[in-house]
Amino acid sequence: MLIGIDVGGTTTDAVVVDGNKVVKTAYVPTNHDNLLKCLLLALDELVQGIDTGKIERVVLSTTLITNMIAEGKTDPVALVLIPGPGTNPRDYALGESIILDGAIDFRGKEIDRLKESQIKEAASKIRGQGLSRVAVVGKFCQRNHAHELKVAEILAAALPGVKIEMGHKVSGQLNFPRRAATTMLTAATKDSYERFAKDVAAALKERKISAPVYILKADGGTLPLDKSVQMPVETIFSGPAASIMGVLALTDPGQSNVVVDIGGTTTDLALILSGKPLLSAKGARVGSLLTQVRAFAVKSVAIGGDSAVTVCGGSLTVGPHRDGPPLCMGGNGPTPTDALRVLGLSQIGDAALAEKAMQIVAEGLGCTTKEAAQTVVDAVVDKIVFEINEMFREWEHEPAYRVWEILKKEKLSAQSVVGVGGGAPPLVPLVAARLGAAAIVPQYAPVANAIGAAVARPTLTLNLHIDTEKGEFSVAEDGLMGRVTDQKMTPDDAERLARRLLAERAALLGIGEYAGEAEVTYSEVFNMIRGWSTVGRLMDVRMEIPAGLLPSWGRC
Amino acid sequence: MSPQSKTGLIFFPAFDWAISPTHPEREERLLYTRDQIFEEGLMDLPQIEEYKPRLAEEKDVARAHFCVPDVGSQVTEAHLIAAGSTLTLADALEKGEIRNGFALVRPPGHHSMRVVHGNRGFCNINNMAILVEYLRTKYGHKRIAVIDTDVHHGDGTQDIFWHDPDVLCLSFHQDGHTLYPGSGFVNEMGGPQALARTLNVPLPPGTTDEGIHYVLDNLILPILDDFKPDLILNSAGQDNHYTDPLANMRFSANGYARLNEKLAPDLCVLEGGYAVETALPYVNTGIIQAMAGLDYSHVKEPDYVPGRFVQTEGMVREIEHTVAQVQKIWEQRDELVEEALAALGDFYRRKRRVFYDTDMINENQEEVVRLCPDCAGYMTINTSAQRGYGILNSAFCVSIPRKACSSCRDDAKEEYAEHVDDKRIGYVLMQDKDKDKFKFYNNMTRTERGY
Repeated sequence: MLIGIDVGGTTTDAVVVDGNKVVKTAYVPTNHDNLLKCLLLALDELVQGIDTGKIERVVLSTTLITNMIAEGKTDPVALVLIPGPGTNPRDYALGESIILDGAIDFRGKEIDRLKESQIKEAASKIRGQGLSRVAVVGKFCQRNHAHELKVAEILAAALPGVKIEMGHKVSGQLNFPRRAATTMLTAATKDSYERFAKDVAAALKERKISAPVYILKADGGTLPLDKSVQMPVETIFSGPAASIMGVLALTDPGQSNVVVDIGGTTTDLALILSGKPLLSAKGARVGSLLTQVRAFAVKSVAIGGDSAVTVCGGSLTVGPHRDGPPLCMGGNGPTPTDALRVLGLSQIGDAALAEKAMQIVAEGLGCTTKEAAQTVVDAVVDKIVFEINEMFREWEHEPAYRVWEILKKEKLSAQSVVGVGGGAPPLVPLVAARLGAAAIVPQYAPVANAIGAAVARPTLTLNLHIDTEKGEFSVAEDGLMGRVTDQKMTPDDAERLARRLLAERAALLGIGEYAGEAEVTYSEVFNMIRGWSTVGRLMDVRMEIPAGLLPSWGRC
Repeated sequence: MSPQSKTGLIFFPAFDWAISPTHPEREERLLYTRDQIFEEGLMDLPQIEEYKPRLAEEKDVARAHFCVPDVGSQVTEAHLIAAGSTLTLADALEKGEIRNGFALVRPPGHHSMRVVHGNRGFCNINNMAILVEYLRTKYGHKRIAVIDTDVHHGDGTQDIFWHDPDVLCLSFHQDGHTLYPGSGFVNEMGGPQALARTLNVPLPPGTTDEGIHYVLDNLILPILDDFKPDLILNSAGQDNHYTDPLANMRFSANGYARLNEKLAPDLCVLEGGYAVETALPYVNTGIIQAMAGLDYSHVKEPDYVPGRFVQTEGMVREIEHTVAQVQKIWEQRDELVEEALAALGDFYRRKRRVFYDTDMINENQEEVVRLCPDCAGYMTINTSAQRGYGILNSAFCVSIPRKACSSCRDDAKEEYAEHVDDKRIGYVLMQDKDKDKFKFYNNMTRTERGY
């Protein structure tokens, strides 16, 4: 038996899955001041009458980090940058930072040395500010760790007890400002997350649940809870990821679908293209910060069942704000939920009050209440359809850097629109009809998120960079570096090395049994020519265990 | 950030295309530039909007070139994508989505001339010329200035706009006595109707930031003030850099950035530049920042210190002298045209040989332009080209200018008809810029294609 719990914005949903059957579900309202408590409340309700010894795995998705960042409750961090030549670091929207001399270039060569006195000055500045967490990030540090290591070493000696995160340990993907932001967020959330993870582990032990506990990441993959403390930011946006994995679990494989999660004030949209959830190209945006966190591309549209409907000068606006619940449910003003009720598309709320709500709209527009309700629903559908088309357009217009990438990109359109979330059932058929797609609202739509968490398998990505002229390789994800001796290394050799490193990393993260699922998703080779002869090769291999479902889940 | 203040960027490094594995124009050329601009996170900045390239249509190519025997046999997809990238940015500019744009693309184009038999100077088709013709046909722009800042003379672009008084082609470059393609001297000034709308500024090897900015401040910017173009385009080669392996100038990344800040081009198109590690990452970062109005003062090559290169007295005098000469030509532009036309009859003819260094092709051309009082006059080119000791390709090309008078149009059509099925010539090509129609006739198979 598998347990999935999604601590969402309004409710915490939980399911027990056995094979391909949903055995039990539970819902409790989310208490943002005590996520652990509501998580355990849902768990306790769920496992009542269930033999806890038969639980094979527990997966959580939590808004902990998302909320901490949104509410500004993260720990303060001193950001130390080694930017080298290029952009003026003040042009990055990273907030206050300490800038150090020293530079590494794209090949990992030191082009400017660190100044020890400057690092010591930085230490006293950090001490003066009373900060106990530091993020040290250098441009191209993933190609050569020496500067970050040296700075961290000097800071650690000067500032005993201070926790230091280094950029190359967080991400090795090209993009210095995103890496700096991700490293800073890691430092800012690690302690709180670690406490949360410990509490969860203790609470489960208390309940005699000995099954391994996993956390869901933003890319729809699971990671053992005890390992996830190294990378707390990866758990951000696990809610939408859970819903998307749920849709993947509840629909036919290999399809191109739009996932529409309609809530009270927002609608989350995501794409599954040929059975693969679309990832955001460079990483998630977290508040005002662009990061390198691998996350599904989710578009949040400020429209939902509770959005306020206003009429001004004969024209109608839906959202983006909320004035309280729909009138038909005891609120003050008209909402799309009232309109759906009037049209008989939903049975939620009081019919007479809904009529009253649409009366207000009708007066403003000079039409009947039915017409007013239709106008409101059309406006909502218009907005959602527009945003879905935009998502496809953006996907088609993603930059490409190779001839074949530009030639091969096919045009895709949605086969189905899959609805999850409370507002989905009445609206999804209307959206689907406009897109010429089938409408699907799965049987378990309200707990699709918890099902997604329960049956998601681990994901893992490994980006390997090899420079045969320098005789070096480096792994982007954890900053591992090593020597290569074979100057004539072939792309096949590079892939073999990547596969071995991925297996080692998977074992380290407690997901070794999934290493065999890894596939090469990207590979490039450049011959380095100096003068007229080849002096070496630069090779990049990306290997990943992509988002997917546990084999035990036979699709419904 | 409002769209009007954004800089459009297309980065197309063609990582799967090369002339040959060890050629300077190979896959690796923009690899470190990719690393640098991606690591800088430039694409994420609100000032910059990245666009996806598209393929130019064969018709877009035919508007600028006579490809022999046809466009398809002279281009690969990579060429169409590089050219198409410039068109995507042109559209974005015209729609008001961006304030300016940079097509950071390869393969380059500025050595490709009007007639194309193969690859010259690493170029098959001229991205810049295709862009200019597109801007004029699609958006009706009349006056366009092309400033060629590559170290090599932009001889292809010069050839294509040789007779066009509405396109100012100004190229500064290392003196042709000392560098490929061996042309670009002050006395190359354009055809009789367009004299001084082609301007060349040869510079001595070793010219520094100081010298190039002297040319910019004292010659290029004042001429642009006079010419008042609708658009300024920069054929942005990066091989004036002091580390370029194929040339001998002393220009820096900061110098390039400052040049683009002052020139303020509407669109930039990458040309050459082969110091793949030591120059390109820094120069491209600097140009992008300058165009986007960002601070570029932190861009610096690892081994550069301000004041590292100093020009000799002699070089300074030589540059000042050249600038004075070109200034004089520009000031006398109207008289020059008048005198030239007075001395000529109804037609202007020139015979020449063109050598395609990359493909080892020798071409013989005879170009004839009607000096028409009512329009720009139709043009014919009789061309034959031999690849090594191999096949001889010959073609007769006819071009009808925009706003052609009826007599030029009729005569041009007659020329085309006369050469169709003439067994001495392989192909007959017609370029009707006025109607935006293009024809290719194969005299051996007796078939006609058109766009």
